[in-house]
Amino acid sequence: MDNNLRLTGTGKTFGKSLLYTFPMFLITFMFMTGGRPNFSDLASSLALITAFLLVNILYFLMHYTGKTDRYRAVLFIIFALSLSYTLIHNMLEVRRSMSFSQADVLECKIPFCHLVIPMMILPAIFTKSIIFPGSILGGFADISSMVVLWLIATVVLGRGFCSWGCFYGGWDDGFSRIRKKPAIKKIGELWKWMPFAVLLMVALTSAVALLPTYCSWICPFKAVTEFEQIVSVESATKAGIFLSLFGGLVIALPVMTKKRTQCSFLCPMGAVNTLSNKISPFSIKIDKKVCTECMKCVEVCPVYALTPEDIKAGKVSVFCSKCGKCVDSCSKHAINYGIKGIPAGTMKNFSRNLFLFVSFLFMAVFSAGSIISTFQGLLKLIF
Amino acid sequence: MKKIKIIAGICWAFAGLILIIILFPGLTSFSRSVSKLPFMKLNARYTGGEIAKQIVAENCTLNIRKPVFNGFLKERNSGFVQLDWHGTIPELITDSVDYDRDGNKDFIIFVDRKNSKTALDPLNRKVKGVDISTATSYGWAARIGLLK
Repeated sequence: MDNNLRLTGTGKTFGKSLLYTFPMFLITFMFMTGGRPNFSDLASSLALITAFLLVNILYFLMHYTGKTDRYRAVLFIIFALSLSYTLIHNMLEVRRSMSFSQADVLECKIPFCHLVIPMMILPAIFTKSIIFPGSILGGFADISSMVVLWLIATVVLGRGFCSWGCFYGGWDDGFSRIRKKPAIKKIGELWKWMPFAVLLMVALTSAVALLPTYCSWICPFKAVTEFEQIVSVESATKAGIFLSLFGGLVIALPVMTKKRTQCSFLCPMGAVNTLSNKISPFSIKIDKKVCTECMKCVEVCPVYALTPEDIKAGKVSVFCSKCGKCVDSCSKHAINYGIKGIPAGTMKNFSRNLFLFVSFLFMAVFSAGSIISTFQGLLKLIF
Repeated sequence: MKKIKIIAGICWAFAGLILIIILFPGLTSFSRSVSKLPFMKLNARYTGGEIAKQIVAENCTLNIRKPVFNGFLKERNSGFVQLDWHGTIPELITDSVDYDRDGNKDFIIFVDRKNSKTALDPLNRKVKGVDISTATSYGWAARIGLLK
């Protein structure tokens, strides 16, 4: 390991980093293997070992180098790719198509994802029912499990869910890292309020139509998961919309701006998670005594959570997704992970270690199944 | 006050840590509890509604469900009735249906399963047409559009 990688501020020695990784090592081992590893099948064993080593090496490197976002992004992007791979692979095996049919809808066999949650709140209150053709309990991606996973994660991580838990976020995060410098440098500040407008629109239209309108008409990630069978002008229009949004907001704009534009300008769940940032115990804090106001953090923030005014005021806005990019970019270590109630600039290592453990554990365990399954699939393709 | 804030913050952060650690082992039991909440049931627009009548033939059963007019705050003027055929279904289905149970047939439905063609003969002005007619894992299903 190149010692130059290590930062004097947050990086640790090799032994200390190993010590910090040990609890993660034990817990991920328990969760990935169920405490009883089964090495009877070579492909499954290799996939399990690779996934296990991947998450633990990344976590170790976070401690050893003091860099967060660099290693978080690796697992986050792999999570997004592997979930799409697993889902598409299953659909091709079961349905021989990425599209779902009217029969799948009638039989309520559509996998549920957290993006539906903002749309089901009003109907749940007023009609005492869920407006989604999925399974309430049991089966693949049932509604109850996804609600529990999201609810606990968003209460604990706030909008950190968007950078540590969302299995779609890795797509635009990945594309935003392709170019070294942005081709489009300035996008109006007002656009970051757009997810609230989308949230309001989809919450109301879904309630009136008793249909999850975002999933039905807008969601760009249908391009990498599943979509309605194209059998009419309406379904073809829907396909045109989601493909255009995927091409524009998930690929083109992130590449051009180096920002997560889908997450920042469209996702209604992002808006809900922004509100839960107020509850989360973790936040990003600016130490005004050390900050030189170089604005490097403002430049690199992928979700428009930092403005020069925020830096001058020493505050990070509620839009922050706690990805750690600003923390990594600050040469003065003036911006850090913090815990609410603890003043900026104090207990920095304690706050970072606790946040990393909580958020990385969630991502590692949540992503483990799809990553192992993807590695298995790839190994079977190779051998 | 400052110390209280610090202690409260740390306690809340550790509570978060515990929540995340117990989340995955406890997911099945948490999900089961959530699924028992009063609103955790699928809307009739998705399930097709409750079964109102069952017609049993030789090897095949036709379930006629209750008409669904569900709306957000009040019932809608238009809805549907869902029919499900289970079992060994003939290639050509012809069934007369009295969906409102007033003793009069409301429509006759013809399904050619082989060619995936469905025709409807409405005998009641409230019957609009065929919304959906498709093969399912259990046999065949159709949704007939209705006016209230």
